[in-house]
Amino acid sequence: MAFPGYGAAPGGVAAMQQDPLYGYFSAVAGQDGQISAEELQSCLTHSGISGTYKPFSMETCRLMVSMLDRDHSNSMGFPEFKELWQVLSGWKTTFMSYDGDRSGTVEGHELQHAFNAMGFNLSPQAMNIIMKRHSFGGRVGFDDFVGCCTKLRALTDQFRRRDQQQTGTALFQYDDFIQVTMSI
Amino acid sequence: MSPAAFPMSLGGLICVLVPRVDKDRSGVISDTELQQALSNGTWTPFNPVTVRSVISMFDRENKGGVNFSEFGGVWKYVTDWQNIFRNYDRDNSGFIDKNELKQALTGFGYRLSDQFYNTLIEKFDRQRKGQVAFDDFVQCCIVLQRLTDVFRRYDTDQDGWIQVSYEQYLSMVFNIV
Repeated sequence: MAFPGYGAAPGGVAAMQQDPLYGYFSAVAGQDGQISAEELQSCLTHSGISGTYKPFSMETCRLMVSMLDRDHSNSMGFPEFKELWQVLSGWKTTFMSYDGDRSGTVEGHELQHAFNAMGFNLSPQAMNIIMKRHSFGGRVGFDDFVGCCTKLRALTDQFRRRDQQQTGTALFQYDDFIQVTMSI
Repeated sequence: MSPAAFPMSLGGLICVLVPRVDKDRSGVISDTELQQALSNGTWTPFNPVTVRSVISMFDRENKGGVNFSEFGGVWKYVTDWQNIFRNYDRDNSGFIDKNELKQALTGFGYRLSDQFYNTLIEKFDRQRKGQVAFDDFVQCCIVLQRLTDVFRRYDTDQDGWIQVSYEQYLSMVFNIV
């Protein structure tokens, strides 16, 4: 937590410091006001956003930093953290609505409904591919669900940027393809 | 590929190695057994994702491991990568830093921006040193190769461009990255 004796400029800075989320963020952020994937993991675990679900894995945290990393710094500032928080809260609500028995996992076919509800229209074939990577025994845990949503969102953003006319198809040049997909 | 097909020295080496690696004498070398046989130059276990990638490359029967003859391929593959790694680890630190990685990948023919190398290291460096150890270097190269392979499958006229639908794009990359 920030030392309470500092003077504060009026407006933006003071408002930020009163934001409860800023407490979690500043507890791990360095002088540069940015957090790494490890710091994000620590931050999210302490915030309790996962509730009764297991805390996020390093890989999921890395994906989350990468999803919002617009300046290619491989780190996250407070505005991005706030954005992430909102997105995560939404995803958690969706997940919980399908995890009726609070087992911490949802079934594959429920995952397809969840994605449709979030605006991702995926074919059964695409769902099969996703399930192969992110499920165990046909069920998906919360950390995997979030990892999956993060990848979907990041890949969809990349695709849309190359399909400005919204035709549903995009052109990729090889070097660009490699860098874009590896940046996820 | 039968043991007799190996050059004499490699065949002899395999005969000695396999019993040591196949700890439970099952005749199949599992992910765990291979992981224990490999070193990444640190005291941490070899990257299990890399182990899985390599085994799946040589496991012709989808049995989740490699038999005696498939293991020969695995060992040669790992040895080849060790030679490449040593070649590019110019300062002999046991790690490949950003510049050495740039030289390696440029040498393989990739054309990648300077900034992208920061992303690559962030993505693959499990030791969190800002440099890649042997196992993470191999995993990085394997993923780059997989992406290249899938791209080439769609680039039917081989002009370096593909046009894909949203569904195709997701199917292509989702499980590779």
